[in-house]
Amino acid sequence: MIKALGNFIAIIKGSLLTTRHFMVNMWFHTLKLLRIKTKRKGAVTIQYPEEKREIASRHRSLHRLLKRDDGKPRCVACMLCVTVCPSECIFVEATEDPDPEIQKSPSSFIIDLSRCCFCGFCVEACPEDAIRMDTGQIEFAEYTRDRLIYDLEKLTE
Amino acid sequence: MAKIYIDERELEVAEGTTILKAAESAGLQIPHLCYHKAFIPEGSCRMCLVEIEGLPKLELACSTQVRDGMKITTTSESVVEARKGVLECLLAEHPIDCPICDKAGECKLQDYYDEYGLFDSEFDENKEKRQKRIEIGKNLLHDQERCVLCRRCVRFLGEVTKTHELGVFQRGVRAEVSIYDGILVDNNYSGNLAEICPVGAITDKDFRFKARTWFLQSRESICPLCSRGCNIYVESHQGFSRFSLPKRVYRIRTRENQMINGFWICDKGRYDYAYLDQERLDEIRMRNSQGSVTWPEITSHIAGEIGRLYHMKRAAHIGLILQTWLTNEEFFLLDKIFRNDVNIDKISFLDPAEEASDDFLLTSERTPNKRGAKELGFDLQPADWKKFFEDVDLLFVFASPIQDGLDVGPLKEALEKIDTKILFATHNHEINSSFDIVLPMSLIAEKGGSLTNIVGSVQNFSPALDAPGECRPAWQFFIELAKKLAINFDFYNQFSSMDDVREMMKKENPFFREVH
Repeated sequence: MIKALGNFIAIIKGSLLTTRHFMVNMWFHTLKLLRIKTKRKGAVTIQYPEEKREIASRHRSLHRLLKRDDGKPRCVACMLCVTVCPSECIFVEATEDPDPEIQKSPSSFIIDLSRCCFCGFCVEACPEDAIRMDTGQIEFAEYTRDRLIYDLEKLTE
Repeated sequence: MAKIYIDERELEVAEGTTILKAAESAGLQIPHLCYHKAFIPEGSCRMCLVEIEGLPKLELACSTQVRDGMKITTTSESVVEARKGVLECLLAEHPIDCPICDKAGECKLQDYYDEYGLFDSEFDENKEKRQKRIEIGKNLLHDQERCVLCRRCVRFLGEVTKTHELGVFQRGVRAEVSIYDGILVDNNYSGNLAEICPVGAITDKDFRFKARTWFLQSRESICPLCSRGCNIYVESHQGFSRFSLPKRVYRIRTRENQMINGFWICDKGRYDYAYLDQERLDEIRMRNSQGSVTWPEITSHIAGEIGRLYHMKRAAHIGLILQTWLTNEEFFLLDKIFRNDVNIDKISFLDPAEEASDDFLLTSERTPNKRGAKELGFDLQPADWKKFFEDVDLLFVFASPIQDGLDVGPLKEALEKIDTKILFATHNHEINSSFDIVLPMSLIAEKGGSLTNIVGSVQNFSPALDAPGECRPAWQFFIELAKKLAINFDFYNQFSSMDDVREMMKKENPFFREVH
């Protein structure tokens, strides 16, 4: 009997809380509508897939490999990103570049995004500013793991 | 003996030693680029400057001999300041292209900059543009921008190989190391140049861009490609958790041993390491068997075959063809099992033919352990094959990892007439299919043991690589086999590791007691 009473009180409490939030938000939104400036703002919900939040300038999103003026990747396959990567998700294979000024370039550059933890260490370590995480792309979920393995071609797009 | 003080540490060193050697003997490191233990000091890099009490200027540690009562400071402010200055001048012309340099990670200039430098250069001028990729030898590339003119390479070719293929041309800022009129460095020790270069000026074509040095794991081993027994480091890549690599071993480097090879190894030992990874046999193959066979099963099977012939007093029908790629301990076990217990006399050697030696390290014997087999009483003379193959019912053959030089002709014909043929192999080879059982064996780099070199020095070694797949060292199989054979069970039951076998061998054969 006492337990049922307790439950009933809890329901009342919860309803009051919801009602209070609703009323407060309504109050501030109404004031905003009437262009009255207040210190406190009403709660805002972003309607995600249709509506998107602005990404901060330092946000770490999908990687990209930068290109030289002639379209070749800027990467010289020094493998510092491979060395620093805490989740071992980068694989680089070096090859001799025909241009004697470049000498070394990657023949393959693979990032396994299913393993990447988006720490951004690869960007920090890169001595050539060849890799960046500034594409702003955050929606790259796939149905299979294979499709999350990005190669040189996909990364320089 | 002279009493000297280095950084207030009192040292007793022999009269005539240099300060650098005295410091190194006490465990103190003095930075140096041009100095190398193997050569006469030159004093061209000026990195080893130290302060000596009573002398007005800083002196070179590499070429100044100690005097009794000398007081040396290696870490004072003026010394550090001088080293910084030297570094700044060296770096004034150095391209600092560490990201694409194969030496990065083991480069002395990089290390010293990390230790003394970390400054901004005062030089405003642009760096001199030079050639970055000159072919100076069949395996060597020279980058003139990176060169610090320490002349180690020039001195190596002058003092060690005495072939004088490199020289320093021009003077002052234009000075450069180069070859004479397009004549390439062509001697059997050229690979050492890339290794002694303190910076990345001379790099190895074989290792070029293959791996960064910090990924490599360096383990001690002995070069098995001739009977000199040069000490080496086998450098292997452990791979990445998500990506597989095409091979394990990326480089062979020399390991100092003044008794055997000094500081050097030959190009054969350095570059012919592909056999460690290519075409490796890694599973037990048994003709007419359903599914896979395990080691205990196959050992019982072979012990059964030998036992059957032994108990029928037909042990004389067992043949054994060996090669001297086995270790001393394995020969010891073979001797015990097959000659002592089973009592066979059909033992012969099928070694590759001897090749030309050079007058330095490379010997004419292209297998590592001829001397060891001889010392254990094996007769290395090639058998009369016709007589050997008469009435052989059970044949054991040990295949050599390097099979190019091996003459398999006499074997192939004879094999068809033999009932049971068992091969101990390390690689896939066309002859493997002629055998009933093929057992995968570990290579010298994958097992422990000892080898006896051409002059009779016994050297111990431990595994430098993990054996692939089902590969096993031969000694391990021999012990298991002998236990299963049970002719002399108690003797073999005391062996549980390589060291037990070695101790027993030392006890029975005094030749192996002295180890270098």
